[in-house]
This record gives sequence, C-alpha cells and structure tokens, in this order.
Amino acid sequence: MLHRDTAFKISMLLPLVLLIVYFLLLISSQSSFFSLTVFFDQLSRGDLRSAVTLSLFAATISSLLAIVIAIPSAYALARIHFPGKQFIDTFIDLPMILTPIALGTLILMSWNTSMGRLLSNFGITLPFTVAGVVLAQFTVIVAISIRMLKSTFEQINPRQEQVARLLGCSAFGSFRHVTLPLAKRGVMTAIILTWARAIGEFGATVMVAGTAKGQTATLPSSIYLAMSAADLPKAVTLMVILIGISLLVLLGVRVVLEHKP
Amino acid sequence: MIRTEQLIAQRGDFTLGPVNLDLGADSYLILLGPSGAGKTLLLETCMGLIPSKSGNVWLNGKDVTRSRPEQRHISYLPQDLALFPHLNVRENILFGAKRRHIDNSLTEDRLNNLLPLLELRNIIEREDVSSLSGGEKQRVALARALLPQPQMLFLDEPFSALDATIKRQLQVKLREINQQLGVTILHVTHDQEEAFMLGEKIAVMIHGKLCQLGSRDDIYYRPETLDVARFLRNQNIFDMTLEEVLPGGNMQKGNGIKLMTPGHERAQKGQRFAAGIRSEEVVIIRPNKPLGPDLQENLFHANVVDILAFGGTHILCVKLQESEVTIDVELPNCAMRDLGYAIGDDLQICLRKRSLWTIPLN
Repeated sequence: MLHRDTAFKISMLLPLVLLIVYFLLLISSQSSFFSLTVFFDQLSRGDLRSAVTLSLFAATISSLLAIVIAIPSAYALARIHFPGKQFIDTFIDLPMILTPIALGTLILMSWNTSMGRLLSNFGITLPFTVAGVVLAQFTVIVAISIRMLKSTFEQINPRQEQVARLLGCSAFGSFRHVTLPLAKRGVMTAIILTWARAIGEFGATVMVAGTAKGQTATLPSSIYLAMSAADLPKAVTLMVILIGISLLVLLGVRVVLEHKP
Repeated sequence: MIRTEQLIAQRGDFTLGPVNLDLGADSYLILLGPSGAGKTLLLETCMGLIPSKSGNVWLNGKDVTRSRPEQRHISYLPQDLALFPHLNVRENILFGAKRRHIDNSLTEDRLNNLLPLLELRNIIEREDVSSLSGGEKQRVALARALLPQPQMLFLDEPFSALDATIKRQLQVKLREINQQLGVTILHVTHDQEEAFMLGEKIAVMIHGKLCQLGSRDDIYYRPETLDVARFLRNQNIFDMTLEEVLPGGNMQKGNGIKLMTPGHERAQKGQRFAAGIRSEEVVIIRPNKPLGPDLQENLFHANVVDILAFGGTHILCVKLQESEVTIDVELPNCAMRDLGYAIGDDLQICLRKRSLWTIPLN
C-alpha cells in the first residue's frame, strides 16, 4: 500500500518538477546575454526608462479604472436580477475570448467613425497617445476584473447584507460597511492580478497606441522592438525588469491571500 | 403591533398567501410549518427584503408596505446568524447602534443591561467571532439584534444548528428576553417541541397558506384542517359520517366503529367529518379499576399488534376488535414497564370525547 501511495505522489509531482525545470531553463538561458554592467548601462537610457515609467503609469491607471467599473458591475451580476442578465454575463466575457490584437483593432476602427471624429474635434484623441495605451489595457483587463469580483461577491452571504439593512444601513451603507470589507481580499487580488495583466499587455496596446519610442512604447512593445532590431542587451534588460515586476506581483497576491480578513 | 392584510408574495414558482396576520405588542408568536412552507418568505416580505405582490404590512398602525427595510425597525436573527466576520464581538453587537446613530452613553447603558442577560461578559472583548462556540455566536447575534431596541424581533430557525442542551438554555433565555425587554417576537420554526414550549400563540403555515392561528392548546388538540392535523403528527385519523346530532355531542360512524365526538356547529346528519385523537390522549383501561364519568363512552376492545420504542416513550399499535382500525397509543416508559404489554395482548381503550377533534370535510 505504501509503495502505491508513493508511486501516486511521484506521478503527481513529476509533471510539476518538469515544468519548474523548464521555466528555470528558460530564465537561466538568458544569463549568457545578461550582465549587471550592461543592465545598469541600459537603465540609464531615456527610452528604456520611459517605457518602464509608461508601463507602470498606464497599468496603474487602467487597472484602477477597471476596478472602479468592475466592482459595481460584478456586484450587479452577482446580486441583482434584471432582464437580459444571462446575455450580459456572457457578453462581458467577450474581451477575454477575443485576441488582444482584435480588441485593439476594434478600438482603432471605432475612432474612424463619426463619433470618433466628433471626439477628435473636441481634442480627445486616443490613437497613438498615452490615453490610447490606458484604454487598450483597460479594454483587455476589465472583463477579467469583473469575472474575479463576481465570484468574490457570490461567496459573500447575502444574509449579512440583509441583516445590515435591518440594523439601519441603507443599500449603499450595507455595501460600504459589510459587502466591501468582506470582499476586501478579493478586490485586492483582482487589483494586483489585473495590474499584472495590464503591465504585460502587448497586442491591443500596439494596435491602438503604436510603439513610438519615448512616447507610447511600453515594456512589452519595447521588448518586441529591441528583438526586431536585434538589440539583445536591451531586450534582456527589459525582460529582467518584467520578470522582477511579475515576481513581486505574485508575491503580493500570496501575501494578500494568506492574510486573514 | 404588526398586521398583514391579504399579503401575497412570490419567489419563483412559489406563491405565499394571501396572509392575514395580527400580532399585538409584547407578544410571542411562533410561525410553525414544514420546510418549504413559505415561513422565511413571509418574514422577508414583512421586513421589506422582498417586495410583496399585493397586500399591505402595517407596523404600529403605520402602513410600511413601501418602506425600506432600515425604516421598519425590525431586527432579524437568521438561521445562520450572519455575524460579520470582519468585525470583533463588540463591533458586531454595536453595529446597529452605530448605524442608527444612537447616543454613546445610551448605547453603553443598553449594552450593560444586555451583557448579564445574555451572559456576554466573558466574550465581549474577543477579537475573532469565528472562534466563538455555537451558543456564544447565538448570544452575540441576539445582542446585536436587541441593542437598537427594535419594534419587533424576527427569529428564523435560530436554534436549528445547536445541540439539545444549549438549545434549551437559549429557549429559556428568549422567554426571559420577551418578558423583561417587552420586545414583540415572531419566531419561525419547524420544530414542534420548540413551538409548543415558546409560543403563547402559534400560527401554522403549510404550502404558503396560514392554516391556523391559535393558542398552544387550540393548535395541539383542535387542528382546524387535515394538513395541520397531519403536520402535528396526529396518527389516529378516522373518516366518519355524522349519524345523529345529540345534546351532548355527535354520534359518528365510519370504518366499522361508532364514536361519540364533540358537537360541531351547523353539523348535519350525513355530513362527512375527519375525527382524530392524539396517541398520548388514548386511555388504556386497566382491568378491575372503576371508570370515571368521561370514560363511559367510546370504549373499545383491542389487540396489541406492534410495539415501537422511542427515547422516553413507547407506541403501542392496537387493532380494534370490532373493525380494521388500528390506533397508536403512546405510553411513557414507566407506564409501559408497569403494564408490561407484549404483542398479541388484549386490552381495552377509551377514546375520550373531550380528547377527540373533528374537522368537517368538503
């Protein structure tokens, strides 16, 4: 029996070990292209610093916007009964199914309509601007935020909200004093994960905002540009930064999830 | 205090009502019924958590049908208690007082009254509500509901998850609360023991309809519908036809037996009735013992056909010799030991007229 148990455990663990080895090989293979001197030298370059700054800025703004929209939307989908709810619930998932490039194309084409031209006349221009980067990232991540938060709200016992109402809270008060505090961990996790998704976004961002160096080029699009120009030191430096940010984010998620509410 | 008028509510395919209920101040009403009867839906509609389809809810003479839940001043203790896990014990208890902006000194006074009543002194400073035992959680939830001094307290199966000892302690506590604080309580349960222990008045709800509202004895001994009789575990129910209206009652016949039953208003010869008697009300006539005046009629010879043992009682299933009717007779264990009945024994039983109930059919 013991042998069978051990065999079972090994058969479950083996694919995991192989996967970790594969990822470590991928990362360590970069070491031949990486040196600290080159890394710091690259960091001093303006276009690289601009890409990092833009990525951090745009990901922060787009994920905050996404959360602001996603919290009420997810709550509505989780709690409120309204006509067409099933259709809307499915429709919301569309950006998760569509490739980011198709999403980017949709945004870009929408600017070529009378509404887009009208907005342009008022000075609101999105294509090939920082606002375009934010909009592209927002479009890609908002559905993910809604999906994550909907499941968070569904896990909260509606009786707690009802009891809060009867103890004197208005609907908004019950949401503020009971629902949101109980959803805190889910909201934090959603913010961190959508931010991570936004900072790594490439397809939609390139389609909408382009890759103008020092203007609209983000971390992922700069990696693409560096590789296209065979600038390996720059590409590796950018990848190291992206991997560092990703590890920090994953660590953040772990801390949030393990923290007791 | 609370009155519902032709109240109808709907959840999915289930329709509640129309419900007409009138509950006075300081009273304790038990809403008793099987699972799925619509008891919780009635509470939710009265609290404004679910809009009514039609009808009205009146609280203290004011029509609150369109009022928001927080405007009705009803506190609610649901089955799962719904304590707030992000707040500590004190914050949970004070939640309602804070939200209703009750003055701090008044809140402290009320809290100091509740602490000894609900035995909360030892747990008031606890940080994590999830670390409390079932009984402690129950008392914290009760304190949270009572602190804002609501007009009414609605309890929805509050003791269903507790063991028997703690359940009994808290049931006693609830009676104290009702009497000491003068709060009107509407208590939903499917547990008949709990209902008859706590309720001054009991309302029986089955299939979304309020079937009967009355005192403990009315509900227990005089069910008004067959659904109520069956739900209250009346095992001995006979299909009878009225044969003769007599000055002291009605002579009814059916299933090969004749029964003298209590009189019934507007009863007519040939009318069909359901007659019944609770198993613990059936009297076993001991041989050679003189019979009292109320044991002179409805006497039957019977044979014991089965014996079922329960915790503190035994059920004798006896078959009447003159007919195919089988009757359950409940005996406490001590009586069973004294009488020492076994399957196949002959005995004589009496279905006392005053213990029989009748329900006109059709």
